[in-house]
Amino acid sequence: MGSENNISNADESNRMWASASFVGVLIIIGMPLWWKTTEVYRVSLPYEKISSFKPLSHFVTTELKVLANDDATASKIVSEIQKAFAESDIIKIKIEKTVMSERQQHILRSVVDMEKAVEELASTLDLDQENIFHVVQKKSLSHNIWVGNERIMFFDDEKASETIVKALDGWIYQTSVLRGARSDTPDQARSTRFPPESAYHITLSIVHPRPDTMQVVWNAAEAVEDYIGSFVDELSSLHNFTLKSQWLHLLDFEFQAREIKEASEWGRHFAVRQDRLSLLLTRLEERAATHVSELSTINLALYIVPCDKAPIIIYDNEGRKNPLSIQAFMSPKWGGVVIASPPAEQCSQQVREFEPSVGQVMGAFVSHLRELLGITKKDAIEGAHLEPLRSVSPRRWEVDALLRIRTLEQVTSAERTLQSLAQLLEEISNIVINDEVGASIAAAVSELEAGAGEGAGADAARAGRAHAHAQRAFTHPSLLALLYFPDDQKYAIYIPLFLPIMFPVVLSLRILLLWFMGKPVHKEKTD
Amino acid sequence: MFNSKNFLFFIAVFIETIFNANGDLFNEELFIKPLPPAHLYTYFQFTTLVNDNLSSEHTYLAPRSLVEVLTRFQVDELHFTLTEGQWRHNHWGYPVLDAAPGAELYAWFSSDVENVDTQWKKLSSTLAGLFCASLNFIEDFNTITPQMALQPTGAIPQNPNITSQLRYASLPREIVCTENLTPWKKLLPCESSRGLSALLNSRMIHNTNYHSIGVHTRKVCSSSDCSVVSLEIKQTVALVYDSKIIRTTDWSFTKLFGQGLPGGCPLASSSKVYVDITTNDTQPFLLSPEPEKVLLSQRGGSETKLALYTIKPENKMTTIGAKYISKKDLVLMKLPPLYFNRYVLGYGKEFGGIVTELTNTFWSSIDVVVLQNAPWWLPIQLSSLRINGEASSEMVLARHYSPGRSRQKPYHLELLLRLPPKSTTKITIDFEFVFLKWQEYPPDANHGFYVGSAIITANLPTARNYTSLPGTASLFESSINASKPWYPAVFRTNGVMVSLPTPDFSMPYNVICLACTVVALAFGPLHNICTKELVLKVVGSSVTLKQKIINLFKKKKE
Repeated sequence: MGSENNISNADESNRMWASASFVGVLIIIGMPLWWKTTEVYRVSLPYEKISSFKPLSHFVTTELKVLANDDATASKIVSEIQKAFAESDIIKIKIEKTVMSERQQHILRSVVDMEKAVEELASTLDLDQENIFHVVQKKSLSHNIWVGNERIMFFDDEKASETIVKALDGWIYQTSVLRGARSDTPDQARSTRFPPESAYHITLSIVHPRPDTMQVVWNAAEAVEDYIGSFVDELSSLHNFTLKSQWLHLLDFEFQAREIKEASEWGRHFAVRQDRLSLLLTRLEERAATHVSELSTINLALYIVPCDKAPIIIYDNEGRKNPLSIQAFMSPKWGGVVIASPPAEQCSQQVREFEPSVGQVMGAFVSHLRELLGITKKDAIEGAHLEPLRSVSPRRWEVDALLRIRTLEQVTSAERTLQSLAQLLEEISNIVINDEVGASIAAAVSELEAGAGEGAGADAARAGRAHAHAQRAFTHPSLLALLYFPDDQKYAIYIPLFLPIMFPVVLSLRILLLWFMGKPVHKEKTD
Repeated sequence: MFNSKNFLFFIAVFIETIFNANGDLFNEELFIKPLPPAHLYTYFQFTTLVNDNLSSEHTYLAPRSLVEVLTRFQVDELHFTLTEGQWRHNHWGYPVLDAAPGAELYAWFSSDVENVDTQWKKLSSTLAGLFCASLNFIEDFNTITPQMALQPTGAIPQNPNITSQLRYASLPREIVCTENLTPWKKLLPCESSRGLSALLNSRMIHNTNYHSIGVHTRKVCSSSDCSVVSLEIKQTVALVYDSKIIRTTDWSFTKLFGQGLPGGCPLASSSKVYVDITTNDTQPFLLSPEPEKVLLSQRGGSETKLALYTIKPENKMTTIGAKYISKKDLVLMKLPPLYFNRYVLGYGKEFGGIVTELTNTFWSSIDVVVLQNAPWWLPIQLSSLRINGEASSEMVLARHYSPGRSRQKPYHLELLLRLPPKSTTKITIDFEFVFLKWQEYPPDANHGFYVGSAIITANLPTARNYTSLPGTASLFESSINASKPWYPAVFRTNGVMVSLPTPDFSMPYNVICLACTVVALAFGPLHNICTKELVLKVVGSSVTLKQKIINLFKKKKE
């Protein structure tokens, strides 16, 4: 009996070990191996760092120098500005006050012409430094303050402090635009300007619907290089630009214009509703071949109206006539269009030759470009005088403001991009993150951590790099490699094999556990 | 050996033209040639000469999209054709420009380009987007660098290593459709609203026996010493109508294109229509309206009569047509000096062969270069090359062979042959069939696999049946009276099709199902035997079914 018992015990332990080896092979080795081999490849990412980003906490820093004739005025102005911007979480201004030297005061007293005064003053002040603005006292101004093209503002006396604060807020620092650049929802300016990128193509298309009836004299290359070229040269610190031009012939657009009689040379004009104009863009897109460029393209189009449909005047949605002499409109994030109608005397001639005014047309395009690239319109402020632009180049302080806006926008957008990517990865498990994308993300994170977003100037380049890295990671095509191979398909292939095998193995687990714990494996059968 | 190839080099020449104020010149031409007994060849050619050397960023008549692509990838010369159907050289003579069936692309990159292969890949992908064609399937494994067969036609600085900048690929399976024609039309300055391009109505032109659209760009000299070059963009359409499809041998614009011609393109320096009326002597027909002028072209011993129409932009709707007076049933076609045929040999799924037959009907010998390009899945061995059944032949003047590599490189064979007068030469090369991986089979794999056409480059001693332009000319009119000592031509043979061993594609699924079932069935008993104790049970008296059910309940109670 004893030996029989021993044999049955040995048998039982053999059986148990056999069962355990099934469990070992299938559950302990097999399952993890299967899990590992069907896993979506993902580089480890700094999720914690990404989730610790707070896009709304960023602000820009800038410097302001207040120069006055006496210390009291300077202190008064400084304290007013400090008071106004103390609460601001978007801009931190480092203010420095100085009492002007005798020579500076002499210049300001003796030179009446403003531009000249700025020029003379430039020898004593460093106006070329980016992100430093000067507020200088100049007695007997016609307005409370005067702002020109350079990084300088003149004020009359300490009574002007309120206007100074308004002008700094609305024109120089544009805190509302900055706030729009940082916030979740874009403001008016952000939905107009192009998203930040390192380079743009600017394409001027001259649309000439009837080349057989009229000749258009227009040197597109020269016009683009002269006007647009000198405008974008000033912005070269922000973006690279490539200028292009093309002619699109025989592209006719039906404006559905209403003829209105009037007492002019033509005796009529054609009224075009503003909402009809967006259809012109669709027509242009067909032929403009903007998709060939590898960069985003800012489109400028000059539409030459044929004689039988001229002149065209744009009416807004309320039925008001466009008061300007030039018929132009801008489409946010797309570009600008100028509609040029030939003059009546040209159309009455046998050989028609039309030469659109280069200055007028390109002026309209430059004003479109200013907004498309992020230089906002300046609203009038009571008591403040803003010197009108005399050339196509933007004002120096406008470029500074743009640099601050772009920096803030790029930093917040980079952080948001990384956060959305992290969220996407959490939600969709089969997105691949390969080494290249991983490296881009890591680079963006390190650029952001290294202090981008603390201010404009030196950090603008860093913000740009962070933004570019984040964008590259987010839009990399490799992310989608396995998107259409969802998990349920993975299980569909393996379950017919695994289910029948795992069933007995899992059931044997209970007996195996009991045996290991030394408990009787099964009740003695009664019969 | 090198000297013998030299005759193929084209000499760079220049074109003297008066340029208009904006620099660019645009010409449109249409050439119509009846191909008795039952076909009609129409060839459209739109030539834009860009004379603005200052920059490629500003375009006037040239399509900016194409110019930008050429500049970005530093392409010196580009030839791209999309073709449906086969050109029958022995029946139809020679086309102005020959094209391989499917898509064909070849380009010379500027000598500044270091990594030609990457640029080539980028170029083909960009053109794929521009023309809605599957050029993105051009990879290393279907790209070759022809050594002798293709030479640049434009002005390219003399470079002994010019072939290293060349890449050639053809996709014989590509199907040409309206979606390719629309982007092609957008490259024209007049698009399709005016001028000869208004005739290209996709409904009508795809209803032909053969149609081919092409874009050819090259550099041409614009000064006498060729120090200044300008870009020439030539867009072509070749159509062969079948009288059986249009149901009459008489033809007119309305019948061929569905509409008349609404005047020339106002931007064109000239819009001309040429009708080849040489066959009028044997197959008399009447042209209406009367041609403006009849030109007699004597070229290399053959005479061609061309009726010329000049289309003015202000013209009203015009339609040119021909009415056959009497129909003679028998037409004797003069055979062209050189024609060829290609077919596949062999049976079974193990070995096969490709035969290229070249026939020289001329009384003197003709030198030709034959380029055979076989994909990696059709390995051709040089050792099996036979010319007229002989392993070594005196006809072969030069030979280039580059073996393929599986999934990386195609097989590429070039032969420079001297074809004896009045003879047929048969080039045979054997191949073996290869098994592909299941993912490498194209959709509808049982349809068969296309093998690209062979390229045949010849310098013809006679201009019989020859319609091509002189190498240096841009316009069709310069082919009138253009006698030369020899006439260079690049032809494509017909493509062939082989059927590779094709598996049953439901097999992997069946295997998975079967294997899973077998494993599951086998695993259960195996697991039981290993882990369960076998206990003998005493066989008692036979238990009735009733007893069994009672026992079952008894057990439950316990």
